[in-house]
Amino acid sequence: MLNWWLPENVSSFGGDIDWLFHLIYAITAITGILVFVAMGAFLVMYRDRPGRRARYTHGNTTLEIVWTIVPALILVVLTFLSVPAWSKIKMSMPPTDFVVEVNAKQFNWQVSYPGPDGKFGTEDDTLFLDEMHVPVNKPIRVVLKSQDVIHSFFVPSFRIKQDAVPGRAIQAWFDATKPGKYEWPCAELCGFGHSGMKGWVYVHTPADYEKWAAENLKGGGTAPAQEAKPKS
Amino acid sequence: MSAHAATAHGHATHEHHDLGFLRTYVFSTDHKMIAKQFLFMGLFMFVIGGLLALLVRWQLAWPETPVPGLAGILTETGGVLEPSQYNMAFTMHATIMVFFVIMPILAGAFGNFCIPLMIGARDMAFPTLNMLSFWTTFTAGLVMLAGFFVPGGHAAAGWTSYAPLSSVVQYTGVNWGQNIWCISLFTMGIGSMMGSINYITTVINMRAPGMSLFRMPLVVWSLFITAILLLLALPVLTSGVAMLLFDRWLGTSWFLPSGGGEPLLWQHLFWYFGHPEVYILILPAMGIASEILPVFSRKPIFGYHAMAFSMIAIAFLSWIVYGHHMFVSGMNPALGMAFMVTTMIIAVPSAIKTFNWLGTLWGGRIQFTVPMLNALAFVSMFVIGGLSGIFMASTPVDIYIQDTYFIVAHIHYVVFGGSIFGAFAAIYFWFPKMFGRLTNTALGHLHFWPSFVFFNLTFFPMHIIGVGGQMRRIYNPLQYEFLQHQQHWNVIITIGAIGLGISQIPFIVNFFWSMVAGKPAPLNPWNSTTLEWTAASPPPHLNWGPTLPTVYRGPYEYSVPEESADFSPQTQPPRAVAGARRH
Amino acid sequence: MSGIGAVLDPPRPVTRRTNGRVPPPPPPTGGGDGDDRDREPRPRGLDNARLATMFFIGAEVMFFSGLISAYFVLRMGAAQWPPPLQPRLPILVTGLNTLVLLGSSVAMVRALRARGDHVRLVRGLALTGALGVVFLLVQGYEWARLVSYGFTVTSGAYGVTFYTLIGVHGLHVLGALAWLAIVLLGARRGRFIEPPATGLRACGMYWHFVVALWPILYVTVYLL
Ligand code: HEA
Ligand code: HEA
Ligand code: CUA
Ligand SMILES: [Cu+2]
Repeated sequence: MLNWWLPENVSSFGGDIDWLFHLIYAITAITGILVFVAMGAFLVMYRDRPGRRARYTHGNTTLEIVWTIVPALILVVLTFLSVPAWSKIKMSMPPTDFVVEVNAKQFNWQVSYPGPDGKFGTEDDTLFLDEMHVPVNKPIRVVLKSQDVIHSFFVPSFRIKQDAVPGRAIQAWFDATKPGKYEWPCAELCGFGHSGMKGWVYVHTPADYEKWAAENLKGGGTAPAQEAKPKS
Repeated sequence: MSAHAATAHGHATHEHHDLGFLRTYVFSTDHKMIAKQFLFMGLFMFVIGGLLALLVRWQLAWPETPVPGLAGILTETGGVLEPSQYNMAFTMHATIMVFFVIMPILAGAFGNFCIPLMIGARDMAFPTLNMLSFWTTFTAGLVMLAGFFVPGGHAAAGWTSYAPLSSVVQYTGVNWGQNIWCISLFTMGIGSMMGSINYITTVINMRAPGMSLFRMPLVVWSLFITAILLLLALPVLTSGVAMLLFDRWLGTSWFLPSGGGEPLLWQHLFWYFGHPEVYILILPAMGIASEILPVFSRKPIFGYHAMAFSMIAIAFLSWIVYGHHMFVSGMNPALGMAFMVTTMIIAVPSAIKTFNWLGTLWGGRIQFTVPMLNALAFVSMFVIGGLSGIFMASTPVDIYIQDTYFIVAHIHYVVFGGSIFGAFAAIYFWFPKMFGRLTNTALGHLHFWPSFVFFNLTFFPMHIIGVGGQMRRIYNPLQYEFLQHQQHWNVIITIGAIGLGISQIPFIVNFFWSMVAGKPAPLNPWNSTTLEWTAASPPPHLNWGPTLPTVYRGPYEYSVPEESADFSPQTQPPRAVAGARRH
Repeated sequence: MSGIGAVLDPPRPVTRRTNGRVPPPPPPTGGGDGDDRDREPRPRGLDNARLATMFFIGAEVMFFSGLISAYFVLRMGAAQWPPPLQPRLPILVTGLNTLVLLGSSVAMVRALRARGDHVRLVRGLALTGALGVVFLLVQGYEWARLVSYGFTVTSGAYGVTFYTLIGVHGLHVLGALAWLAIVLLGARRGRFIEPPATGLRACGMYWHFVVALWPILYVTVYLL
């Protein structure tokens, strides 16, 4: 069953999305079933039979008001329920000292970790292609850039998607809750290599991450990254 | 009968209309002939767009295996589609389907056919402009097809052609293809502007005596509103496309950040057009369903005014929801929230329409004719497509499902399940009036039932793989580990798509066979009340004899209690009021 | 034969301002959903030509709103506007030129009010056209000067927005001039003297639109 549903969720806010998804699923399923049952029933009950005449009516104002108000109310409630998750995911950032820069280009993800100076774009950055390593249970801030066309940062298991637009530095964040290796496709058509433009996000336990950083990052990744400033 | 012969027979009393072959069939100014021209064009393009979809499907089900029948064309790869060709295939599939199938058939053909006949006019307000509108659209279509033959291949940046992918040749390697895409859509924009001005003027000024706005059939309402949307939406696309061409040709930088441009500007312009556009695709189909359901339920439409006003509401709201295509584009998230609110609201008028259709069925005397079946398919499939729209309207959920097959499923439930079934319904319904012959019912069922089943087999599983995370516009799902386990769905979908394609064969046979050899149609084969059924089948040039019909009542007077027939044509004066006035 | 002949080949109905629409006899009322308002012949609104022109103008407005909003998007995105090292736009000359174009609209109004006076009509239209031509010539001259300073369509966002907005408007003036020329020729041959003169009036509407658009563009592109 799980096999053909949402991929496993391993992010702190993924649950909010999945919850909303299932809520809408329930609402739409019930609405759909009601509509189809009513329709099916009418089609059977009122099929053409000799000697019957159709009911002559131009409508019913009360009924029409009801079926305007009820869906409207449901939708308004749904809107209100969607707002908190949206503002949590896209409109606010948890404070963190872990910042990576992802620079998308046809057809790779270029990941850079700042060196001991804590700044991006300096000599001591460490660059990786198509792989990102992060510790578990820590908010990770991603500065998304693109060198050419629009790409989209998508990690299905984290329930995160954010386009990378050339000329901008867009901030996104996630907080992975389970160590592992997660596929990281590009979700926006970016040319003939769009399909297959993907990387992996490795989520490590804190200890493993320390080890990895010491071995692979210039300066051992000890210095916390500076907060990247959003483009004005 | 040539013009010469007619004169020889001495029709001196009145002007004759023997215009010769060219003026009758090619450069005709008669709205019904133009309607047929649009219809043929749309159906032809449907085959091309559909075959492109099958290419896409083949590649997705059996990636990188030779496509049957293509070995001769793609000689270098022995028939295997390359990634760039795959992108070209779905780009052109969507472009053709949206601009050269649904718009010509629904707005072009049925707009032309229905508006004058159903409001009791002799022709459009500007018959020559009408002809030009068709030929401009036709040219645009030819230009679009020509793109397949230029070096570098056709446009491959998606039907949305997001800049800067589309604005710099190096990013896709497509030069002329993308230019042609722009030129064609520019031309198409002009053609449909001519058409829509004509429709609007005709509806406002040319109604028959007694045909007040609220006695117009709902399909005329829907086409009228569609025309207004077209008139206002397409120029925005035209301006965007012009900027895109400037960027490509003159090296300007509307959309290139390096020169001070803004990539998201294209998306804003495109979707400001694009969202009204999707309602342009569905509104005529809604009108068609509202026309056909009462006829075959033998019952007035439920809530006529609500139906008209909900379409007006949709038209208004469609201008302020476009941002829901850009939730994760980098647009200000606060704006995203505002667009979520409006998007939720726009579902309300659709809800009204759905329930009113159900209300129309309730207590009716339902006849399962072929047009009725297609109209019922429209209603039910539109509901599924609309409900999947609610998932995306909720911004947090859209973060996950944006650009997945869930969206592709949504698209096809609304455009195929909605618009195309609506178009089928309209074709079966008005065929007798258009061509003066009846279609074959058995073939009609043979078309409808497999289409309905295969349609769902094709597009329903797309929800599942979309929820599983499969992205749209990818060449090969097997390149991704997390998609491996659901590849069998891709195979099922493709089998469904091939079945759906084959199911269209009975339709094509039926269409052409009935056109030449169908049973001659009576004036009013469905016992319908609207004006077009009072004209001859097919209606002559100028539609009616010396006097135009006079309208005495609303369009859906079925099973009126005091009257013996179960339908009371709009031209029939109400008996109760003979002489006296109510009040 | 005569019956079928009448159906296939009906005499053309009275052609009035709208083709083929006969004056509506008052229909009896009633009948379910139909509203009862339409007892009397509806008062006629605009004729087809002007109605169509009005909607055409609507489409044009949307086209220009696309361009103008694009202009603002790029302008808001720029750090400095106008960008340094770019020539300043000729505000004064263009301002005077604006008056020229507005003057053409006045001439057009006078032509439209000619009411049967053939000479006034033709003169008014000719003056309108002449002012339009002057406007275009001045614009062209200014463009040539700007280009000679090295300011072209590829000069960043500043260049592309300027040339696109102003150029597209220029093309519209050109189109309106062509229409005006046709109307003027017709007027010289004695058309449009008696009402309803719909062709003339439609052309007038479009001319006013093209003129009215200009001050908006002038303020946006030159002054703001
Ligand atoms: C005919 C075309 C058509 C129609 C009618 C619609 C109708 C709707 N669409 Fe759709 N849409 C498209 C064509 C269409 N769409 C296309 C082509 C795309 C993809 C473009 C691309 O990227 O290539 C798209 C994409 C798209 C997106 C962007 C997805 C993304 O890329 O992330 C969104 C997001 O909000 C959306 C929402 C909606 C909604 C809310 C409706 C609503 O109007 C639906 C309203 C109808 C109902 C809701 C059903 C009936 C109502 C009831 C039974 C009442 C009860 C209901 C409730 C209480 C919930 N659509
Ligand atoms: C507007 C109308 C419309 C219609 C009618 C269709 C019809 C179909 N569409 Fe399309 N589609 C879109 C609009 C439409 N689509 C849009 C807007 C997109 C987004 C594009 C983008 O991302 O840019 C899209 C994208 C799209 C994709 C996603 C591609 C991708 O993202 O990689 C797929 C994949 O399965 C697909 C499949 C199909 C199929 C199988 C049909 C079938 O219904 C077609 C059936 C018809 C025929 C097959 C032709 C007629 C048959 C015959 C004449 C008989 C001969 C046939 C045989 C012998 C088999 N479509
Ligand atoms: Cu990068 Cu798709
Ligand atoms: Cu939309």
